[in-house]
Parts: sequence; C-alpha cells; structure tokens
Amino acid sequence: MRYLRNILLQVVILVLVALWLLPIYLMVLDGLKSTSSVLLTPVLSPGGISPSAFLSTVRDLARPILNSLVVTVPVAAVGTYFGALAAFSFYRYTSKISDVLFSIIALATFVPFESVTLPLARLIFSMNLFDSYLGLIFAFLIFYLPTGALLMSIFLVSLPKPVLEAARADGAGDWMVFNKVVLPLMMPGMISTFIFIFIEVWNNFFIPLVLIKSPDMRTATLAAMRYIGGMGVLYNDTFAASFIISLVPLLVFIFTGKYFIRGLLVIGGGTKG
Amino acid sequence: MVKIVFESVTKVFKRGSNIVEAVKDANLQINSGEFFGILGPSGSGKTTTLRLIAGLEEPTKGKIYFNEELVAADGQVIVPVEKRNVGLVFQTWALYPHMTCFDNIAFPLRVKKLAQSDLDERVNKIAKTLGIDEILYKYPREISGGQQQRVSLARALVKDPSLLLLDEPFSNLDALMRDTARALVREVQQKLGVTTIIVSHDPADMFALVEKAAVIVGGNFKQIGAINDIYERPADSKVASLLGEVNLFEGEISAGRFSSSGLSLQLDTKASGKVILGLRPEDVRVGSTEPDLVHLGKFTVLVGSYQGGAFRITTKKDSSLLVFISDVPYKAGETLDLYAKKGHMKVFDQAGELVGAA
Repeated sequence: MRYLRNILLQVVILVLVALWLLPIYLMVLDGLKSTSSVLLTPVLSPGGISPSAFLSTVRDLARPILNSLVVTVPVAAVGTYFGALAAFSFYRYTSKISDVLFSIIALATFVPFESVTLPLARLIFSMNLFDSYLGLIFAFLIFYLPTGALLMSIFLVSLPKPVLEAARADGAGDWMVFNKVVLPLMMPGMISTFIFIFIEVWNNFFIPLVLIKSPDMRTATLAAMRYIGGMGVLYNDTFAASFIISLVPLLVFIFTGKYFIRGLLVIGGGTKG
Repeated sequence: MVKIVFESVTKVFKRGSNIVEAVKDANLQINSGEFFGILGPSGSGKTTTLRLIAGLEEPTKGKIYFNEELVAADGQVIVPVEKRNVGLVFQTWALYPHMTCFDNIAFPLRVKKLAQSDLDERVNKIAKTLGIDEILYKYPREISGGQQQRVSLARALVKDPSLLLLDEPFSNLDALMRDTARALVREVQQKLGVTTIIVSHDPADMFALVEKAAVIVGGNFKQIGAINDIYERPADSKVASLLGEVNLFEGEISAGRFSSSGLSLQLDTKASGKVILGLRPEDVRVGSTEPDLVHLGKFTVLVGSYQGGAFRITTKKDSSLLVFISDVPYKAGETLDLYAKKGHMKVFDQAGELVGAA
C-alpha cells in the first residue's frame, strides 16, 4: 500500500516536472532549428540542429538584457530595502493612521498595471522621464514598493519580539535596531522578496511597452517581441530569444533558491524565528 | 542607582472591543539599590508592570518617576527605553541569534561607541565574573540554557545599568540550575548594588532573592512588604496561597469556636461569623508533641508522597482535606491525631481578607 502510494507520488511529480519542462524543451528544440525547418517540422519534434538563431539573437539581446538588468536590479534592491524599512516602521509605530496606510499598501499591490496606464504615462511624461531608465525604475517602484512592504511585514512578524526589545533596552535607537538586528535576522526574507520582485519586474512586458520608445532602451521582454513582425514570425529566433531571456531569472533562482524556500517556509510556518 | 516611583499607574490594553485592565491604580516605591520582587500568577499584570518600568509600555494613566525625573505619564513615554539605562533579562533570554556570545554582550557597548580596547576589557571582565569566558566565541544556539541565561545577564550588566529588570529569568532552567543561577544573581546584585526588580510566579525566587516584594493579583497590588511578613501575615487567602501551600477551611466562628464540615476547634480570636481558616502544612503536628497546640481531630491518611527531604501527607476528615509536611512517612489508611500550632492559623473573612491570627 505504502509502496503503491510512493509510486503514485513519483508519477505525479514526474508529470508536473514534464509540464514545467515543456516550455524549456520547446524553446531549446525550436530555437535550434533553422529558419526553414522550424516552419516545416511540427513544434514538438526535432528538425535538425542549427546554431544560427541562438547566435544572432544573443548579439541582438545583449543590449536589451543590459537594459533590463539596469532597471530590474535597482527596483528589486530598493523595493526590498525600503519595503523592509516601511514594514519595520509599521511594526514599531502602530496607530489608527498606520493601520489605514497599511491597508492602502495592501490594496495597492492588487492594482493591475493596465488600469493605470494613462495616468502613469502622463506622470512619467510630466516628469520628463519618458523613455529613460529612471522613468522605468520609478514606474516599477510605484508598483513594487508596496509589494516589498507587504512581503517584508509578513517576514517581520516572524521575528521574536523580545530580541528587538532587548536591542532597544541595550540602548539602540530605531535605526540601529533595524540595521544591526532586524536586517541580519530577516536576510532569508529579504532575499525571497528580492527574488520575487526581480522576477516580476524582469518578466514585465506592459510597463516598458508603454514607457519606452527608442530601440536602444528596449528591455529584454520588448526585444523578444521584435521577432514577431506584421508579415510573419521568426519562430526559431523567438524561441531562442525567449530561452536566453529566461536564463537570467533562472540563474538568479538557482543560486539563491535555497533562501527563497527558507523565506517561504517562514511565511507558511508562522511564528518560528 | 535609581529609585522608582509609581503614582496611581493604570495600564489598559484595547484589542478591538476587548478591554483589559492589566494594572489598576498602582502606587509603588522601589528604593535605590533595593532587590525588589513582583509576585503574581500568570496574567496578573506583573510582566506589564515590569514593561512599564522598562519603558516598553506607556501608562494609560498615572506617572512613573526615576528618582525625581518623570519618565512616563498619562499615555506617553517621556524617556524611552533606550535612554533609561536598564538591563533587561527576558524569560526567553532574547539573545541575538546571529551574533556570538561576545558580540551579544558587547552590543550595548558598541551602541555607546566605546573604544575597542575598553570594550574587550569590560566584556571579558563580566564574562569572567559570570563564568562564561570559555564560550564567548560560540553562538547562542551552541550553548546550554544555563549558559544562555548567563550571557543574557552579562549583556544586561555590562553597560553598568542603573536598573536591572529580570522577567521570570529562571523558569526556563531545570531545578538544579535554578538555585545556582539564583545564587549568582544574588551575589552579582549585592556586589554591584544595582536596583533590581524580579518578576516571577515562583515564591521560591522571592524567598531566595528579594528584600521587599509586591504581590499582584488581577492587576491590583494586594500587598507590599518584606517577603517573610507577607508569608506570615498575607493580606488575603489568595496572597496566602500564592506564597506557598495553605489549607483553607470554610466555616463559621461563634463564641470563639470554629466549625466546618469535619472540624470543630476552639480558637483564640475575636472574629465571628462566616470565615475561612488558613493553615500552612508546616504548622501541623501529629500528636500533642509540643506546647501551644490546638487539637484538630482524627484524620485518615489518603496518600503520602516524598519531596525534597520531607513527606507530604494528604489526609481527610469527613469532607475536609488537609495537607501537612512530616519528617516521617505515613501509610494510606492510617488514622492520625492532628494538631495545629497556636497563633499560626490565619482567619480570613468571607471575602478572603485577613482578619487575624489564631
């Protein structure tokens, strides 16, 4: 009985892994096809190996990937750090006003980008930040600072309260308590939040679509769209580009996934510090 | 060192529509250099009192003074915890898990931006005093509970606090460690002369450590005084049982004769009417072995257990249970002729207030 259940479990895992691997399989398989064979062979079956699509897209994507990094890393870092700061101040100073503010933050994380496109675009225009890194970073922060604050407040309540009080009794002011005690103890949570915001921003297509115009400023997701033209689609290039672009968050996740999972465990486990 | 004064301090907690009065109109004075104890059952408001003194909570009403300085009043903390120079030892010890013991102890000094050589000297000195110099470079998770407690004490003492606050510091230690730790705390307190307040539900902490104690029940300070006085003359039956085991008999006195179910004895008291008679286990004798005893009657032994060098005997007469301490064991079913020491019985009125001894 137990044996059977184990087998069943393995089968379920295998199916899920296969489902998850399917897009990667497709991207690699069809990205390696030549321009003609990608049109002539079915999507799921192999059709020869030609590095041309990968070679040409890597060259094309260097600049967009750099653009994406220039935007994504600061947004994730600032969103995480300031999110943690905000979470800490909400934790330290509770009042009716802060309760209302916190509810607003929680609501802000649910606002869909599309619904505020127009005001956002006009705001960035009026700040003279259209088609710039700063404008993009600013726009992303509007959406991901609340996310950072919300996530970090969930991590913060898992910290043992007496430890923070001990630090205050030891003479440390808020700033010192935050930097010397809260930050180091929340590292797994900070890393989880960083990864979450990083992946969200990296994969975001809509905001750069609205706020970026010149080809040199394109982010990776915008660049991937370039292979879809009015006259036809360069399938092999699209697949290769998609694969290269998704490598970055994949690598980030592989190197820091341990902390990400540790952070998630804190959320699931409740109070264990 | 510092003297602490509470002037009609009330602390109310509000959680939605749930209102809890944790401390009610408390008036206290803790003298400079004194070792003061706050004894109370869980939920009595004793930890809240300590947090009010520390500055971690603000009083809803009333004033708190450190010496002559007003530190908190009417819903406001005037001098915050980080400026009060208090050493705090938590029940859970609350060590910084990401720092070595050395860094834990050094933390208050680093906050003060002490020079490194000075800092090393003071950390090593306090570590030597508390016998933890061997484990300074270990992390809290790598050392025993007793050692963690000492690190926590060292961290509280290293900055020369003017006030040391201990919140149930021994309850997470095993019985054997507890007395060693008490002895250490007592020794250090006497050596440094720092005003110290301990909060505990365990009367043993009070007897072992404090000069003066306050008993708090349901947010009210019932009695403040020397611990032995409180033991001998508890303000009410609740305080009596908080300080140690006490047999309580509900009955009636008329013309000096106390009667309850199973008990009937002549008392030397002016009290009359419905009363509760309190009798400590150590004030009961088997047989008329010494002068000044009052006859209680014949009791049947229910069970005899052994604890800490003495036998704890539970007996019964009709529906009255009586517990006493004996040097010799008795078997269940034995009938014993029991006496009580004159003048050691406490008479409480119906509400539990002490009205006299008998």
